[in-house]
Amino acid sequence: MTEHWERCIRLKEPLKTKPFLIFAGIAGLGLLLGLYRELTGLGYVTGLNDGYSWGLFKNWNVTALTALGSGGYAVAVIAWIFNEKRFHPIMRTAVLTSLLGYGTGMLALGFDVGRPWNFVWLADPRTWNHYSVLWEVAVCMTSYFLLALDVENMPPFLEKMYRSGNSKKKERAMKVFNFMQKTFPFGIALAFVLPSMHQSSLGSLMYLAGPRVHPLWQTPLLPLLYLLMAYILGFSCVLLVLALSAYAWNLGWDAEILGRLAQVMSWTTLIWLVVRFADLVHRGVFGLAFTFDKFSVYFLVETTLVLVPTVMLLSKTQREAPGSLFRWTFLVALGGLLYRFTPTTLAFSPLGDYRYFPSAFEILMSIGFTALAVAVFLYAVKTFAILPASQGKIAAEEALRPFDTL
Amino acid sequence: MDANRREILKALIGGSAVAAVATTGMPLATQAKSDKFELQPDALGLMYDATKCIGCRACMPACQNANGLKADVGGSGGLYMQPDTLNARTKNLIKLYVAPDGHERSFMKQQCMHCVDPACVSGCPMEALHKEPHGVVGWDPKLCIGCRYCQVACPFNIPKFEWDAVNPKIVKCELCRHIVGTSATEPACTKVCPTHAVIYGKRSDLLAEARRRIKERPGFYFEDRVYGETEAGGTQCLVLSHVDYSNLGLPKLGKESPAAETRKVSDFVYRGFLTPVVVYGGIVAIVRNRWKDHLKHEGHSGGSESHGEEKRA
Repeated sequence: MTEHWERCIRLKEPLKTKPFLIFAGIAGLGLLLGLYRELTGLGYVTGLNDGYSWGLFKNWNVTALTALGSGGYAVAVIAWIFNEKRFHPIMRTAVLTSLLGYGTGMLALGFDVGRPWNFVWLADPRTWNHYSVLWEVAVCMTSYFLLALDVENMPPFLEKMYRSGNSKKKERAMKVFNFMQKTFPFGIALAFVLPSMHQSSLGSLMYLAGPRVHPLWQTPLLPLLYLLMAYILGFSCVLLVLALSAYAWNLGWDAEILGRLAQVMSWTTLIWLVVRFADLVHRGVFGLAFTFDKFSVYFLVETTLVLVPTVMLLSKTQREAPGSLFRWTFLVALGGLLYRFTPTTLAFSPLGDYRYFPSAFEILMSIGFTALAVAVFLYAVKTFAILPASQGKIAAEEALRPFDTL
Repeated sequence: MDANRREILKALIGGSAVAAVATTGMPLATQAKSDKFELQPDALGLMYDATKCIGCRACMPACQNANGLKADVGGSGGLYMQPDTLNARTKNLIKLYVAPDGHERSFMKQQCMHCVDPACVSGCPMEALHKEPHGVVGWDPKLCIGCRYCQVACPFNIPKFEWDAVNPKIVKCELCRHIVGTSATEPACTKVCPTHAVIYGKRSDLLAEARRRIKERPGFYFEDRVYGETEAGGTQCLVLSHVDYSNLGLPKLGKESPAAETRKVSDFVYRGFLTPVVVYGGIVAIVRNRWKDHLKHEGHSGGSESHGEEKRA
């Protein structure tokens, strides 16, 4: 039974449900551990060492999970550049997942760096190393978070102010909104250019490591492959979040939007696969995929996880059944995350006898950051009109204008 | 679709005009800075000839003393200095390689190679790792954020991190730059070396000396070549040994530095920041039309309040 999502609604549910409390608890624990980490050295609490000096925080929470947080960027391309207007009702969910993906990624980065107080020097352009890919990622991600994502997530917040009943607040909300109306295209364009830059640069980061990354992954095309994967993971994240929300809160199932999302995702994945295989063949390392050492196994698992669901999702019947749509998308996301993670850790070989496995402390912190994202998501959808719903589900008070399709 | 294509084309043309203005002068800026990636004529370095090294390790405590490092006594149960790898307390380490069949052995002095175009300097976001005069790769504690990208990037796995410190430092050989020229004339390790297995000087002189030794005894040194002459774009510390260099922890590396290769990819994509500016201009133009259309469609005219709460028909 398909419905059409048209507007955004606020969930009228008490905030403090059991799942919320569990996620908030894990998040709280993670942050407490993070505080403890700041008071000791990284070596005491993590499995990091001089060979594998980047671990879960950077390689998983930043490199892999911010790709999952590229939903706002990826869906905006369909909605604004390719002008598919029916995607506007899901934009709020998309930009919220991006805010949370990037926010928690940057939080993880803050706990990961050893001398965070020296970040103040970023304010002095004389210290910038323009040739550093990491500098570009740091500046570009921060700008995206502060200049684009914040602004994109503003409408639900303004709307709440507008409807607060306080005339002063209402006036202020209108003022901000009027300003936003004039500057909106500039913001959207920024929200396209900045992620294009840093999502590809996350790939260039590992290119500098040269021969230390296994040839099945090391290629000058890393930036392109990382960028394409950011699109794929962005689509998959929005799709999965919407599907889970629709199931959890009975929002109805807009097969048209979700199916189209999966379709665009599988086309993007096909392009990614073509680039990936062409590159392997061109560099003459394709044979390494079948040596059945551990790298070959990582490669085969990762590729199968991406390839098989993509082929399945090309079929309309698979996209139309909610169950199979969810399962295949989930598997693509898994394979995609593995691809983004592997060059940084699994396929990274420093010289010498080093091993890395994250410590329990590190894993708890890493999970804590993700739990924080989920907890804030639950708070947001119960406080602001974010999740999409069909006309029938929208009570008068929630059919909000003028901000709702921003 | 046709209208779309025209729009995008128009936008791109508009965008490139903006970009052309914005990027005038940018190639100049790039050029002015690029000499820091090249070999400086007065570059200083070391030359370590493993065939002369007797493995006395005198250079190790000398290095500790000169750099104020506490000896790593972990490997000996607290009795004497015995690090097994370079670490936050060890910038210089003499290792012994013995071939599995026992017929071939060589010492190796492990330390920063002071690359001509170092990956660590290229990767460091804050210029904490930088090239000092004479091409020495130095570290500045005031700027380092502790991101450890230098450790990920270095092809020789040299920079070390103080994992147990709250205010951790990056530790690596800086060629005794804090004493050479003031209280000393050469680094501590070369000064104490009894057999002159490691010598200090201008890279050009060291390279000439290395070539002379190779010429003197053809077939003696591995492949009759000096490691560091071309590896990863060249290093200012050079190594000679009769053993395959890759057995000594010196990886096989191409003639181009990873830093230069990465810059090539970035330059190809960014074109001196032209690409992002053009794309930005293009997207603004496209979205602006969409946005105007959207506002018209939604019946907004500057967001006046009368449109506030009506329900969609």
